[in-house]
Amino acid sequence: MTTLGGTRLVNPRLGTYFGIFVSAFASLVILALVAEQLGAPDLVVRWIMLFAPLALYAGIGVASHTNDPADYFAAGRRVPAFFAGLGIAISGVGGVGVVCLTGLFFINGLDAWCIVNGFVAGLVVCAIMVAPYFRKFGAYTVSSYLGRRFDSRIVRIISAAVLVVPLLLVVTAELKVGAAAAAELTGRPVIEMSVVFVIALVAGLAAGGMRSLSWAGAAAGLAAILALAVPAAIVATDATNLPLAQFSHGPVLRAVGRMENVQGLPIPILSPFAFDLAGTELEALTRRMSHPFGSVGPASYILTALTLAAGVAVAPWLLPRVGTAPGVYEARKSLGWAVCVFGVLILTTSAMAVFLRDIVLEQLAGSSATQLPAWFTTFAGSGAAAVDGRLPKLPLSSFSFKRDAALFALPIAAQLPAVIVYLTFAGAIAASFAAAAASTLALGTLIAEDAIYGSRWEILAQGPRLAVTRSAIAMAASLGAAFAALLPADPLKLMLWAIGLTGAAAFPVVVLSIWWKRLSTLGAIAGIISGFVTAVLAILAGEAGWFGVPSTLCGVFAIPVSVATAIIVTGLRPAPARHLLEMVRDMRVPGGEAVYDRELRLARLKRRQASAN
Amino acid sequence: MIERKERKPYWRHTKLQMLASLLPFLMVMIVFPLYAERLNSNKFLGFPLGYFLVGHGLIVIAIFTIASFVNRQDAVDHWHGAHEDT
Repeated sequence: MTTLGGTRLVNPRLGTYFGIFVSAFASLVILALVAEQLGAPDLVVRWIMLFAPLALYAGIGVASHTNDPADYFAAGRRVPAFFAGLGIAISGVGGVGVVCLTGLFFINGLDAWCIVNGFVAGLVVCAIMVAPYFRKFGAYTVSSYLGRRFDSRIVRIISAAVLVVPLLLVVTAELKVGAAAAAELTGRPVIEMSVVFVIALVAGLAAGGMRSLSWAGAAAGLAAILALAVPAAIVATDATNLPLAQFSHGPVLRAVGRMENVQGLPIPILSPFAFDLAGTELEALTRRMSHPFGSVGPASYILTALTLAAGVAVAPWLLPRVGTAPGVYEARKSLGWAVCVFGVLILTTSAMAVFLRDIVLEQLAGSSATQLPAWFTTFAGSGAAAVDGRLPKLPLSSFSFKRDAALFALPIAAQLPAVIVYLTFAGAIAASFAAAAASTLALGTLIAEDAIYGSRWEILAQGPRLAVTRSAIAMAASLGAAFAALLPADPLKLMLWAIGLTGAAAFPVVVLSIWWKRLSTLGAIAGIISGFVTAVLAILAGEAGWFGVPSTLCGVFAIPVSVATAIIVTGLRPAPARHLLEMVRDMRVPGGEAVYDRELRLARLKRRQASAN
Repeated sequence: MIERKERKPYWRHTKLQMLASLLPFLMVMIVFPLYAERLNSNKFLGFPLGYFLVGHGLIVIAIFTIASFVNRQDAVDHWHGAHEDT
């Protein structure tokens, strides 16, 4: 058993270990390339590109097994800022960000950036307003934090019941994207690949909880960055002579703009609240790439960014990662690293979208239906793209693509070797593995800690506590896979709903609980419930098309309602108890022991004294 | 460990730092997309300027915001003796 207070021991060989991992991943890809050139069967190479990385992540997870709660729920608070940030970024982007956002960049152009802007702003808000205090408090989940902050089991259970919904949506969305990419890669049915994913998740997570997630997630993050940067760099070198795709695709983007002018793409004038990002169906290429507000109105753009920011800042699948940093200072820094890694990933995928648009404009637009290149006809044959071949000279708008196929279309269209195409799939799978793992662990911990044991304060003996959490993780993963198989929904929409619901239910109360020490227990309960209910109603109204406000903007109504309810209800009640005020004062100061760790230490001391007597 | 009478000034200082870091960033986030169209006629690093600011620009500004916040808030912590003992 390790001690809690003084463990600030960061493993000095972390860099070496992850260097070894990156080399292993790179040599795996090179080996696959060699095998392909030597004439190994295509299917074998595909299976290697699916299974070898997944086995590596799950193996790292198993290798970091632990039975110590402080390790299991907070990685022993030994994850340095960079690795914590890497984990936050990759589980934030996830398969949804890598696959769906690339498609949005490709089809909707600049308007898709509203999601990215919201995400970046969420990380900034988290770093400044939430993360340092959450780390100082030291709770393992958002619900545990709220429950202890208000010293109320009801707050804990209610917030857990509410936060289960967005967490389940995230697990579902990530498994959907990951299993779809794996199915595309191997040619097997999606259901089978969901099972593979669940097995990898449970194997990787159950043994070591947050410790496994921290290291396996960091490995998956590095693999995803590498796997996406390689095809982007190859295509960029081809197009601009510079391998740095993220910063060199500017001239290509302007060339795309000029060709779009020649094609005469319309510049639509939308209502400020329009919100028409591409769904999962085939979508014609009618929007300009660098022209704003072609599919999302200005008001929608800003409001989407702001509501997403609120959700991301307190996302229950990201915030507990902050608790793994060795201290408050490192916790703040980890969010800075998260923005860096997030930026690199998103700029890579957006560059890939620009290159794909360039290739489509050069090779497809203006040709006739009979002389389309071979890659497009095979692509259209699989249903991922289509062409309306009635005109003799096909304009750009006669081509349509599926949003979620755009990422994988680039290496195919650029005629890169098959292994590089599979590498892109491996990148998407790595990103969805990391995000699915983060949300599965958060959901499992939430169910075990706050729902099953939420009604009691005593800290359990570690044996049953970890056994329950492990089975809850398995349950969460299977539940997510079942939902992914049954729900025929768009993963991006599920993700946006999840972030919207989190922002509505948790953001106002979490922020007020830190920055307004008089917020009362009843105010918190009222805030959580009113925010959640309003958001759910707004989603239903948006889907039914009642007020003309899209369902992804549910937070626009719900966040103000939640804030107002929390403040009004607090005003009706007497001031909170003295020991709660004292706890808030303690939480606000970075120095000293984490509030929750001190409780654990005292509980253990008490138990030892009781057994001695 | 922070002294009792330092708590209030420390928290006032922290609140100011929070606003000073957050408000400019949120302003920029709201303003950039609204002017993206007008800025697009200029170019920077080969990019249309509006697109560059909304994409690369905001990410760079976010990194700068967090870096400066970490630095300044750490200074505030040390000034009031609220920092962690390492």
